[in-house]
Amino acid sequence: MKTITILSGKGGVGKSSITASLAIALSKYKKIICADCDVDASNLSIVIGTTKKESWNDLSTNEKIKFDYNKCTLCKKCYDVCNFDAICWDDKPILKEFSCEGCGFCELICPEKAITLEKIYNAKIGYVNSGYGFKVVSAQLNAGASGSGKVVFEVRKKARELAEDSEITLIDSSAGIGCPVIASVSGTDYAIVVTEPTPSGFSDMKKAIEVLDHFKVPYGIIINKFNINTKYTDKIGSFADEHDIEILARLPYDKKFTEALVNLTPIIDYDTKFRPIFDNISKILIDK
Amino acid sequence: MTKIIGITGGKGGTGKSTIATALAYELAKIRKVLLVDADVDCPNDHLLLSIKRNELETVYQRIPKFDIKKCSRCGKCGDVCKTNAIVSIKDKEPIFMQTQCNGCGSCVYICKENAISWKKKEIGKIYSGKNHNIDFLGGELKSNEPVSEFIVNALNHVIHKNSKDYDFIIIDTAAGTHCPVIAALEMCDKVYSVTEPTPLGKHDLEIILELLKELKKDSKIIINRCDVSKDKLIHDLSKIYDVSIVSEIPYSEDIVKSYASGEPISNLKTYDIIEDLNR
Repeated sequence: MKTITILSGKGGVGKSSITASLAIALSKYKKIICADCDVDASNLSIVIGTTKKESWNDLSTNEKIKFDYNKCTLCKKCYDVCNFDAICWDDKPILKEFSCEGCGFCELICPEKAITLEKIYNAKIGYVNSGYGFKVVSAQLNAGASGSGKVVFEVRKKARELAEDSEITLIDSSAGIGCPVIASVSGTDYAIVVTEPTPSGFSDMKKAIEVLDHFKVPYGIIINKFNINTKYTDKIGSFADEHDIEILARLPYDKKFTEALVNLTPIIDYDTKFRPIFDNISKILIDK
Repeated sequence: MTKIIGITGGKGGTGKSTIATALAYELAKIRKVLLVDADVDCPNDHLLLSIKRNELETVYQRIPKFDIKKCSRCGKCGDVCKTNAIVSIKDKEPIFMQTQCNGCGSCVYICKENAISWKKKEIGKIYSGKNHNIDFLGGELKSNEPVSEFIVNALNHVIHKNSKDYDFIIIDTAAGTHCPVIAALEMCDKVYSVTEPTPLGKHDLEIILELLKELKKDSKIIINRCDVSKDKLIHDLSKIYDVSIVSEIPYSEDIVKSYASGEPISNLKTYDIIEDLNR
């Protein structure tokens, strides 16, 4: 099975809209499964137009500490060793819940065993049936919870479990280049960087590419809204030429994209003129 | 009194940076303003305001260094590592994967043979700059480094030291709701969540409103491109969460053109927000 990850660095360039339509186009040729790895704000299934969750269960990938103040001798060792500023001192150690990574160093160092690690449910995980014959696996991190990278790994694992005889897994990653994005691209067979021709889009695309180069993932580029600034479209084009990067598609800026979103219909179905573009990308991907 | 204002929103591309820079631009005409770009994965504010960034400091993360000669292959370092950065099988040398490590220090502490010590690795930089009367502070994570919030923490330290010099500090966060966003919101007195009236905007806004409730932050909503849909999706959510809408900004070709060409956006209506800030 082949895994293809879609990323962008910059948010809001059209990653999920493109992933949704590409998934629908690809599913005509191959059996596929989608993994929504934007676990901060998982919304691929909304773009595909289905939100009925088939299973939606609590997931635990993290632990958090708890103090037993009866045992605490106020030695301050826990406070001293925390690398995440997650323990503040107010006559006694107080946990800053949102900063605790659950690393467990304070538990190890506490001579009184006054600190215990407790499992926390930091996300929910499940899937939807898309209505196009493929499943979309997703997870949503609970408000204020940490551990997005590990939750991404769980989504990818769940997608493998539910894959049956799927030939392609399509991963929609989050914005940025940090921990959840690294978890989305590591070990993937091919990546698509979605960008837009603006100074921000171009700068963030290059950052995404650095990550892919590091993990030795081959990739191509989709330029979305290519007609909003032809100067930057040309810049991206020359950058791609210089670095021998394939441009998989150029999509125009079109109000239909927003209309499609508002109507909960993937753009490929909302306006058929876009279908050949996605069909063409699918064909390129299948040959990869 | 310095007011620290966060601009966030959950969803990417709703106009956080556009609004943060436009707001800084307007406020800086009459007040002392520090704009902080806390989207350290993909910083763009300096591009939008044509700010030349000067390096302020390098941010390091500590990571373990293994002295294999001293290692007794007991496997304990791997047992205590919660991020799976160390794979240690008993009687085998530990394998260390840098990109998984958050530098917590458990392995250094647990190793009886003192075979693990510290080394520093550079994970990013923070920068300062100035243009349009705006003082600028921003961070940038090195590619392949996972722990964005360490860079945000470094920014927070600089903000903390210098906050008294400013009337307004505007912190522009990354998309999403995870660690670096939480770290960036930590110091804010007031937070504006920028969204758009689409089902995706609504979905992601709800998540950030949940987070802001957890963090007990005073927050309000800004609807960008308010005219792309007639649906009252965001108004409904505003009622449910009892968070008011401070401004509704219509879609404008001019703004898109300024944005696409990298000019400062001076034609975006920010007076609702400024009025709210002065209240």
